Amino acid sequence: MPLSVDERWDLIDRISKQTVEFGAYKHTLKDAIAELTVKPLTGLPVAIAVIYGFWSFFCDFAGTLFTDGFMVKLFDEHWLPWLQSVFPGGLGNPFYALMVDAGHIENGVLVASDNCFEAFGVLTSGLFVVFGVVLWAILAFYLMFALLEDIGYLPRLAVLVDTVLHKIGLHGYAIVPTFLALGCNIPGVTATRTLETRKQRFLMITLLSVFVPCGAQIGIMQDLVPEMMGWIFLTLAIGYLGFGFILNKIVPGKSPEIIMDVPPYRMPVMKNIVSKLWIRTSKFLLVAVPFVLLGCVIVGIMYLPQVGAMDWLATVLGPFLMSWFGVPGETVSPLIAGFLRKDLAVGMLGGLMEQGIMTTFQVFTSVVLLCIYFPCLATFALMIKEEKWKEFIGSIASLVVMVLVYGGLIHVVGIMLGVA
Amino acid sequence: MKILLMGHPNVGKSVFFNRLTGTKVFESNYPGTTVDFTKGWMRLEGEDVELIDVPGAFSLEWKDQAEEVAVKMLEENRDSVVVCVLDASKVERGLYLALEIIERGYPVVVALNMWDVTKDKNIGIDVEKLERILGVPVVATTAISGEGFKELVSKIKETAPVKIEKIIKNAGGGESAAVSG
Amino acid sequence: MEKKLSEMEFDEEGTVREIKENLRKQVAGMGIREGKEIRMATKQPIKGPVVVEVDKSLTSLGLGVAEKIVVEVDKDRKRR
Repeated sequence: MPLSVDERWDLIDRISKQTVEFGAYKHTLKDAIAELTVKPLTGLPVAIAVIYGFWSFFCDFAGTLFTDGFMVKLFDEHWLPWLQSVFPGGLGNPFYALMVDAGHIENGVLVASDNCFEAFGVLTSGLFVVFGVVLWAILAFYLMFALLEDIGYLPRLAVLVDTVLHKIGLHGYAIVPTFLALGCNIPGVTATRTLETRKQRFLMITLLSVFVPCGAQIGIMQDLVPEMMGWIFLTLAIGYLGFGFILNKIVPGKSPEIIMDVPPYRMPVMKNIVSKLWIRTSKFLLVAVPFVLLGCVIVGIMYLPQVGAMDWLATVLGPFLMSWFGVPGETVSPLIAGFLRKDLAVGMLGGLMEQGIMTTFQVFTSVVLLCIYFPCLATFALMIKEEKWKEFIGSIASLVVMVLVYGGLIHVVGIMLGVA
Repeated sequence: MKILLMGHPNVGKSVFFNRLTGTKVFESNYPGTTVDFTKGWMRLEGEDVELIDVPGAFSLEWKDQAEEVAVKMLEENRDSVVVCVLDASKVERGLYLALEIIERGYPVVVALNMWDVTKDKNIGIDVEKLERILGVPVVATTAISGEGFKELVSKIKETAPVKIEKIIKNAGGGESAAVSG
Repeated sequence: MEKKLSEMEFDEEGTVREIKENLRKQVAGMGIREGKEIRMATKQPIKGPVVVEVDKSLTSLGLGVAEKIVVEVDKDRKRR
């Protein structure tokens, strides 16, 4: 026979009176810190410091130490030249172009690439994107995330941002899926389970898939356009909050308020961190590797002069892209690759930048567009699985509207500032 | 037989899980939801028994999807032994969940985890008496150091379902619930 | 003196007197119930959530939730 809430508590009271004794206890330094980090006046500066530390580690460990310090040299100076010299076929051969180096036209002549962003072969760009850049970014990200998780910091962050997030129909705990999605959108969508209503989950999944770039993408962006990162994140954050506010007004359903345990801080346990890191990273690689390599093949085939699909798309969609978003038709190819993998797409943008056909503002717009215009295929598949079909259509419709409106808006702001 | 590991979020349940299982651990998705859970196997008297790390829940009156899944997993595995992991420094609210599970007729082993914290906080818990009142095994554990795990494992096969009326009687109740302060 | 939990001052202590029926089950698992001592640990600005301490553990509640809980505060009692 189940008891009522009150009966159960009465029983617990009776049990605890006989078995539990609370001795004199002084609040310790740990308790003081536990509280100070959740109070706005002291907690907000700490939160900013934590996020800054997170970001610095991400850049220094993944970007500077592994990618720039080691992987770029390995891939550009050894792997690429070696493949170019031993792989059968040579420049102009379709199979060679797919696997190693498509080359590019310079003054009417097809020339070989000198770096792995441009080469665009499965074995060069494909492997470089995954193992040269993204893997380290993901490792750094999940290591820090697991630490914050196990120390018990995230619920405090959630309390601090609840005020803002409640205004867009979510609650503070939405910071966890958002943060997690910055590693990879897939676990981000998965983590929406801690939100209580369908409305909240719908809002969160839609905003995640549009405005939250994943770690793979951030890793590549940080490598290509480090000076723009501040502006990119600001633009995305404004979009996240702005469109969140609007969606909250038009989507029916309830947004209950937060009721959340704020656990004490704890020492993280090595074995636990390692096991989490392993599960998340291996899951990521399982999704990323096939998609990146497949993306390389598909985009490579479309690029082949014998096929000519990319040139055709660039001509057809070019005028629209130019007039609405203010970006050149060539961005069509990264946008198409972006359906499969965002990191690959940003990498292709890098190739275009090296060729010098875009202005700084166009680079900025393209990078932001790549973030917001479509979730990667894996996230898309997960959304189909997670959402009811009505919600899914809603997500896609909101996505299209948000991209057109926000992308256009960025263009307009650019024109007003005289930089577009 | 399966073993379900249940408890509040943030009671060190995943450390607990890692300690009980070997290296073969699988994360899977609960069908139709966004909720992931981990399962693995543990050696129990020469047998490999499946151990499931159920998503954290404060109560079986679920309010989010993770708690909903926790309740469903409990209902789907009627033949399980539930290891209920409590934060020993917050016994009362932990007991709330433990009682809910016992009321539904499951054999339960109560683990008073983070036992080391009770010493820091100067909380004294009479484990034997608690065990006598509840009528199910109660073990003090510290997942981080491994304290109490041998004992815990040895109790899993001993436990059996208990009627809540018996617990009320053992607690000296029986009269109506009006005695509360 | 009785007041709503949402009206408690920072660091003020009291005893929970009444929890609106539809909220009881939701906060029960967190150990918040009638008769429990409760302390306001922090209040976030601009109608943000409150953080309360019950049984030495912290719980965050939205302001609207806190409005549904009535607390008896004891003016004379000093903390610790």
